Amino acid sequence: MSNETSNELVVNPAPHIHGSMTKNRMMQYTFIAILAVTLVSTILWSQVTTPSGWNLGLTVALGTLIAVGLAVVIDFLIGKVASDSEVNTWSAAVFGLIVINCFTLGFPEMVVGLETGVPVEAPLAFFYIALITIIGMVVFKKVAGIAGRKLVNPAAAAKMLVLLPTTFTTLITSWHLSTGMLMVPSLAGPIGNPADLLPTGSNGGASFGSYLQGCYGLPGATPGSVESIMLLSKYHGWVGGASSLAVIIAGIALFVIGRKYFKWKITVSYLAAIAVMSLMFSVAFGDADLTTRLLFELFAGSSIFLAFFMATDPATTPYGCIGQIIFGVGLAVLTILIQTFMGFFGGALLALLIMNLLVPVIDKIRINKPFGR
Amino acid sequence: MANFVHIPEVKELARKTPIEIFPDPKIAVVLTNQQSGATNTPTIKIGDTVVIGEKIADAKERVSAPMHSPISGTVIKIENAYNSCFETPTEAIYIENDGKKTKGKPLTSITEAELASTKNEDLLKIIREAGIIGLGGAGFPTSVKLAVPADKKIQTLLVNGAEGEPYDTADERIMIERTANLVRGVRVVRKLLGNPAVIVVTKESKTEAVPKLQEAFSKEPNTEVRATHLTYQQGDAAMMQKAILGYETPSGKRSYEMGTIVQNVATINAIANAVFDGEPLISRVTTLNGDVPKPKNLQVKIGTPIKDILSANNVNLSTLDSVVVGGVLMGTALQTPNAPLTKRTSSIICFAKNKTKNVQQTTACIHCGRCVSACPVRLQPIAIYNAVTKGDFAKAEKLCAQDCIVCGTCSYVCPARLPLAYNVKMAKQ
Repeated sequence: MSNETSNELVVNPAPHIHGSMTKNRMMQYTFIAILAVTLVSTILWSQVTTPSGWNLGLTVALGTLIAVGLAVVIDFLIGKVASDSEVNTWSAAVFGLIVINCFTLGFPEMVVGLETGVPVEAPLAFFYIALITIIGMVVFKKVAGIAGRKLVNPAAAAKMLVLLPTTFTTLITSWHLSTGMLMVPSLAGPIGNPADLLPTGSNGGASFGSYLQGCYGLPGATPGSVESIMLLSKYHGWVGGASSLAVIIAGIALFVIGRKYFKWKITVSYLAAIAVMSLMFSVAFGDADLTTRLLFELFAGSSIFLAFFMATDPATTPYGCIGQIIFGVGLAVLTILIQTFMGFFGGALLALLIMNLLVPVIDKIRINKPFGR
Repeated sequence: MANFVHIPEVKELARKTPIEIFPDPKIAVVLTNQQSGATNTPTIKIGDTVVIGEKIADAKERVSAPMHSPISGTVIKIENAYNSCFETPTEAIYIENDGKKTKGKPLTSITEAELASTKNEDLLKIIREAGIIGLGGAGFPTSVKLAVPADKKIQTLLVNGAEGEPYDTADERIMIERTANLVRGVRVVRKLLGNPAVIVVTKESKTEAVPKLQEAFSKEPNTEVRATHLTYQQGDAAMMQKAILGYETPSGKRSYEMGTIVQNVATINAIANAVFDGEPLISRVTTLNGDVPKPKNLQVKIGTPIKDILSANNVNLSTLDSVVVGGVLMGTALQTPNAPLTKRTSSIICFAKNKTKNVQQTTACIHCGRCVSACPVRLQPIAIYNAVTKGDFAKAEKLCAQDCIVCGTCSYVCPARLPLAYNVKMAKQ
C-alpha cells in the first residue's frame, strides 16, 4: 500500500515559506534609485557644452547606455561560458549604473584653457567608460565571484585600475597636485572663507570656497553660493554627485523601502564620522569658517554618491551591525586623511578599496554574544 | 534590543473554525516510534485483535512513551513506513478497523478531588502510560520532562499558548473550546512541580481565546493570563522565557535549572485527558490549512494516513506541490502522502503547484547580512553555513551552531534563498 500513490511531492528542507525579498528585487530597487540619480545628473548637465561641442547631458546619457548595456551583455556571455556563474542581469545593470555615476566628467571654469587640467571628454570618455565596465565585470565581478567572493567594489577597483595609470586628468588630482600653479589651496592647512579671493599666505592663492565655486559651478554663469553648489548642483566631478540632494533623497528612499536589507548603517556612520572629522580639522587648522571644509568633505560627488551607493555594496562590506559601523567610520577616517594629507580629492574611492580588503578582518569582530553566552 | 522578524500569521480563516472530529481510518498506520528517546518495540503480533486504547508498543527505558491502538481491529502487518518525525521509514503497525469501536479498559485515573492526595510518581506513571510526549513538536516524553529533580525548585510554569507557526491554529482552538480541561491539566502540572506560579502565555492576536482563558483561570491562585505581542520566534521555550521572565538561559542549561518549565497547551490538554479520564494519547487536534478548499481544525486519530485526511477534505493531491506537517517554518515536507499522522503532527499545510517553485531557487550569497541581524539567538548563520559547506564542523561549533533553535528565520529572510537553517541544523547534529 505504500507504493500505490505516485510520489510527486516536492521535499525541501524547512522552512517552507520565505520572505518576499530576493536578490533580484534588491537589485531592482537599487537600479531604480541610481537611475533616478543619473537622470537628475543628465538633466542638470545638459546645460553644459564642452569646448569641442559635446553636450554633457548627452555624454552622461550615452555613457549610461554603454555601461549598462555592456555590463548586461558581458554578464549574459559569461553565464553562457562558465556554468558555475549565475546570470544576474539586474546586478550587472546596477554595476553599469555605478560605473557611469562614479566617472568624472565636466569642465571646471577655473581650468578651461589650461592644457594640464582638461578632463576626458566624449568620445574619449566613452572608451574609458567601456574599458572600466569590461574590466570591472570580468575581473572584479565575475572572476572574483567564481574564485570565492568579491574582495573589492568592482566599479571602484576598475576605475582605479584603468584611470590611475593612464591619465591623471580624470581625477581631480592633476589640478590639485599642481597647487602652486593653479593656486588651489591644500586641505592640510587653514582654508579661507568664500569671499576672500586674496592670496592667503602659503596655502594657495585663492580661498577654498572660491576654488569650489570655480571647480563645480556652471561654466559661464555667476557661481552660486558654496552651500547651494555643494548641496544642489555641481557641474563637474562624479556624474552621480551632480546633485547631492538627489543622491540623499534616492538613497533614503531605497533604505526605507528595502529596510534591513540595505546597509544603511555604513552610510550613516560614514557621514557622521566625516562631519565630526571635518569640524575637528577646521578647528585644528583654524579655518575661517566651519562650513566650507565640511561641505566639501560631505558633499563632493565622490563622497556622497559613494556613501549611499558604493560603500553599501553588500558583497564587499561587513555583514554584522558593529562591523558596518566600524566600516563606515574607518572609511570616513581614511577618506579625510587621504584628501587632507595626500591631496587626492577623490580619496573616498581609494579609502573604499582599502576598507573592502579589511572586511574579512572586520567580520571577525563580535560584540553581540550569542543568546545565553 | 530584540529585533525579531515579523512573519505573517495567515490564521484568519482557520482560527474561526471549530474543532471537527475526523472519522476513524479504515487502516491505521501507527508508527512504533514518534517520541525522542528510547526505541519502542511492538507488544502485539500480526493477527492479534486490538481494542481502542490498547498498548501496542513500548520500551523499558525511562525516556520513552508507549503507543496505543487508535481503533479496534486486527493487526494486519508490521513493516516500515515513512515517518515524518524522523524523515525516514521506520517500523509501523498496520491495524485494520473492524468498525466496532470496541473500547479497551481505560487507564488508571483519578478524580479532581483526589489530585492533592495523589503521589507525584503515580501521576507521572499515568502520564507515561498514556504515551504523552511534547505535542508542540519536540516529542520529548512528558513524564520525564515533568520529573524535575527534587533539589530544583520550580518557580514558574509557563503555559505556552503562543502557537507561533504561521497557519497553525490547533492550539488556539484548544484554548477556545477546551479551556476548562486546560485548567484541570494545569493543576496537575502545577502539583507535579511543587506549586509554582503560573503564567498562561498567549498572543493578543488570539482575540477569541484570550477572554476565555482569562475567565477560566481567574479563580486559580497565583495564576496570570498574559496576552502579549509575541513574534513567531518567541514561541520557542528559551525565547519565551526571555520575553516573559526577562532572562537568557545560559547555553547548555535546561530551563528547569533556571526554575522554569514551559509546557505547551496541547500537551496539557492531553495530560488532563489521561489523568482524569484515563484516555491514552490516541488522537490529536491538527490544523489543515494552506491551499485547501476550506481550512479546518480536526481531531484526528494518530495513525490516520494524511492522504485520507486530504481526500476527505476535497484536497486534490495532483494540484499540490508539497505537503508540510508540523509547521511551515520548522516542520517537514512529506515525502509521501501515505505518511500517517503522528503525535507531533500539529498541522498539515498544503502548497499548490507553481506557487513556491520560483522562490525556492538557491543562488549565491551576496553577503547582505540579513540573516545575522534576523537571528533571534544572535548567531551568524552565513558564517556557520560557510563552515558547514566546507566541512569545517569545528569552526561551526566555535560559531555556536549548537545554540541554534532551528526556527528557520535565517532561511526565511535570505534574499538568495540559501538553505541556511538546514545547514546549521546539520552542524548541530
